[in-house]
Amino acid sequence: MTVTTDSVSAALEQTPTHERVDSHLHPEGSFDVDAHEVPTGREEIWRFTPLKRLKGLQADAEFMPSKTSCTWNTPAGARIEGVSGDEARGLRGLSGLVPNTRWAARVLAEVPDSLLIDLPADTELTEPIVVDLDGTDASVTEAGHVAMRFGAHSRAIVVLNHTGSSTVAAVVEIAVGDGADVTVVSIQDWADDAVHLSHHQARVGRDASYKHAAISFGGNVVRMDANVSYDGPGGSAELLGLYFADAGQHIEHRIFADHTAPQTKSHAVYKGALQGEKAHTVWVGNVLIRKVAEGIETYEENRNLVLTDGCQADSIPNLEIETGEIAGAGHASTTARFDDEHLFYLQSRGISEQEAQRLVVHGFFNDLIRKVGVPSIEDRLLTTVEAELAKNVLRDPGSLAAFAQEA
Amino acid sequence: MTSIEELNPTLKGIGNYEFGWSDSDDAGATATRGLNEDVVRDISGKKSEPQWMLDLRLKGLKLFHRKPMPTWGSDLGGIDFDNIKYFVRSSEKQATSWEDLPEDIKNTYDKLGIPEAEKQRLVAGVAAQYESEVVYHSIREDLEEKGVIFVDTDTALKEHEDLFKEYFGTVIPVGDNKFSALNTSVWSGGSFIYVPKGVHVDIPLQAYFRINTENMGQFERTLIIADEDSYVHYVEGCTAPIYSSDSLHSAVVEIIVKKGARVRYTTIQNWSNNVYNLVTKRATCEAGATMEWVDGNIGSKVTMKYPAIYLMGEHAKGETLSIAFAGEGQHQDAGAKMVHAAPHTSSSILSKSVARGGGRTSYRGLIQVNEGAHGSKSNVLCDALLVDQISRSDTYPYVDIREDDVSMGHEASVSKVSDDQLFYLMSRGMEQDEAMAMIVRGFVEPIAKELPMEYALELNRLIELQMEGAVG
Repeated sequence: MTVTTDSVSAALEQTPTHERVDSHLHPEGSFDVDAHEVPTGREEIWRFTPLKRLKGLQADAEFMPSKTSCTWNTPAGARIEGVSGDEARGLRGLSGLVPNTRWAARVLAEVPDSLLIDLPADTELTEPIVVDLDGTDASVTEAGHVAMRFGAHSRAIVVLNHTGSSTVAAVVEIAVGDGADVTVVSIQDWADDAVHLSHHQARVGRDASYKHAAISFGGNVVRMDANVSYDGPGGSAELLGLYFADAGQHIEHRIFADHTAPQTKSHAVYKGALQGEKAHTVWVGNVLIRKVAEGIETYEENRNLVLTDGCQADSIPNLEIETGEIAGAGHASTTARFDDEHLFYLQSRGISEQEAQRLVVHGFFNDLIRKVGVPSIEDRLLTTVEAELAKNVLRDPGSLAAFAQEA
Repeated sequence: MTSIEELNPTLKGIGNYEFGWSDSDDAGATATRGLNEDVVRDISGKKSEPQWMLDLRLKGLKLFHRKPMPTWGSDLGGIDFDNIKYFVRSSEKQATSWEDLPEDIKNTYDKLGIPEAEKQRLVAGVAAQYESEVVYHSIREDLEEKGVIFVDTDTALKEHEDLFKEYFGTVIPVGDNKFSALNTSVWSGGSFIYVPKGVHVDIPLQAYFRINTENMGQFERTLIIADEDSYVHYVEGCTAPIYSSDSLHSAVVEIIVKKGARVRYTTIQNWSNNVYNLVTKRATCEAGATMEWVDGNIGSKVTMKYPAIYLMGEHAKGETLSIAFAGEGQHQDAGAKMVHAAPHTSSSILSKSVARGGGRTSYRGLIQVNEGAHGSKSNVLCDALLVDQISRSDTYPYVDIREDDVSMGHEASVSKVSDDQLFYLMSRGMEQDEAMAMIVRGFVEPIAKELPMEYALELNRLIELQMEGAVG
């Protein structure tokens, strides 16, 4: 154990104290690893995850020396480096995170170093920070901690790019200063044997804008919890997600917008497609509007497109509201396959069925990709969607070639 | 300011809960508390039941002790299973005319307006359950001639044992959950309905459930079998006196809707605010059949109720309309479950809830589309209205789709009563209370209009009472 009581209490002090809300969705958090039972799969927060495929990450698998290479660019004005010792310990709980799982508590307690992305106040970056994480060995269970600190009125885009083979548990903590404008994109384009558990916790300052995009294509099991809470009034969070699950893949996204301050906003849009036997996606969207959070606005949306038989899409938009003084709250969830009318319309215009299907899927994802708003990755996302489609919908190589020409 | 009561003199004299009186309680005073094998054997013995039923009860008891309390919903910590009276016999024999009923029970039902409804032929049959057993029972003669069976469940076991045995526990198995196990071990009373092939029961069958004893546990068991192409509408209402300590109502309702039949089941639950209402309701629908739950939850301390429909045959259809009001100290955890197990099935859920005065409403639902149920459609709409800053509203919709050719939509919205709406109505000369009540009535109208007339009126009256003083 490398956590000292001092660092824990310092972290606790940073945590805004709120009355505990009695709900089965939010188990009580703790920095103490032993306060968390090893999950059995019956818990609400684990009920969909295939624990057997996590290689013990959810329990007590040893965190071994990393076999994942980590490289990044450093735009002028930003400080990005691996830190350890006291500095790393001081970053635990930076985002107000109090772990509610055993694995997250273990990451905070046992991982000695952190990757720190530090941006001073009033700094505006002109190019995105791109952190490439390339795994080389899925038999090694490892863990990581990333801390992002954005000063007041700063502006930045960070892209975490996961590729290769790895079995990794990662905690990413994000503190968005007052008035800052920050986008964090996490791309999971793993090889087929990767296992990835991650918890992204953000604390949004007064009048700050925070955008988080979770994009999951590859991996055996990918589970990401993207949570957000607010430090002061006026903060807004946009939580976006795009996922494409193939045969045998389990892709699980959970979000939790904890409205801890008045006049805050959260807006979530997650869109996914599923294809192949035993492709399984889970989306759980939790929104909690606390008593103090008057005048807030929230909307969550999840759309699933089922492309073949044998898939399973779970979609659960939970909403808990403790005050009636709100500007608006709602959610919507749909799961469906191709809309026959869309296909019919396109075919009536002389477009082949396959091509029409391709266009519908692109139409489904394109506005989301545009919302992510990072031009340098847009092309890549479009190409990946196309490559995914080629596996099932488009067995005809012609249209892929046509697309390559267009691109 | 003019209160609603002054505007509507008929409302005067009605307290916040008008069914809160209690009768003298001789039967209840002597009833034993607590649950063990002897209690179960005693209940079965008093009813002179066949051995198989006793065995089933004992199995239920075992499963009840073994199953854990559900922790995912409301706080059930206040239930003291050892303090509950599991069986209270209020009257030695069942009456078929109101005159034969003991005086105090007759008065109770007079106050509830039941003989009136029957006299006016608003209902096709009536059952009244007081404590653990049905005390009054009647059905229109012409329906009886057509072969419609409408009796209390205890009588059904005696008189129609074969039919009973064929269906009892087939929709909700003994060990389905802790409370269905409890119900199976100590069940008593409830309605048993059999509608033969092609028979349409055109006006509703009605049942009234009343708890009188303090710390009483009411465990009625209802079984409805609608044979092919038949139709029946069953309506139940529930009330209880206000006591300082809690009572438990844990019913099990099983419905079998055969090919092409249609069943509508309407509940207006208005238990007093000291009743834990933990009910398991489930229907199976064969091909082309329709099941409709109309579920109104107004009373009780805690309600956990998720009427389920299993769509087992092609083109079966399920519909749930649910409405919940939670006032001070109340938690209405209601919703619906739809399981699509056959192709081209469709379901729709419409849920509306209003929370005020620190009450909590939760919508908890499940839409499950099994593999092979292609072409299924499901639509869920839940709206919640919060009228103040201290109430709470939650939405927990579970969706599990295992088939590609389906269309499923879920939408929820939570809103407060808008100032614009209030201002408009008040600019037309309405008092604030009255305007508020009108907005709430408008909000629940899509469901209220599905209720039988007298219940719709009752609901409107309850809304006005509930909303009175809701505006700070």
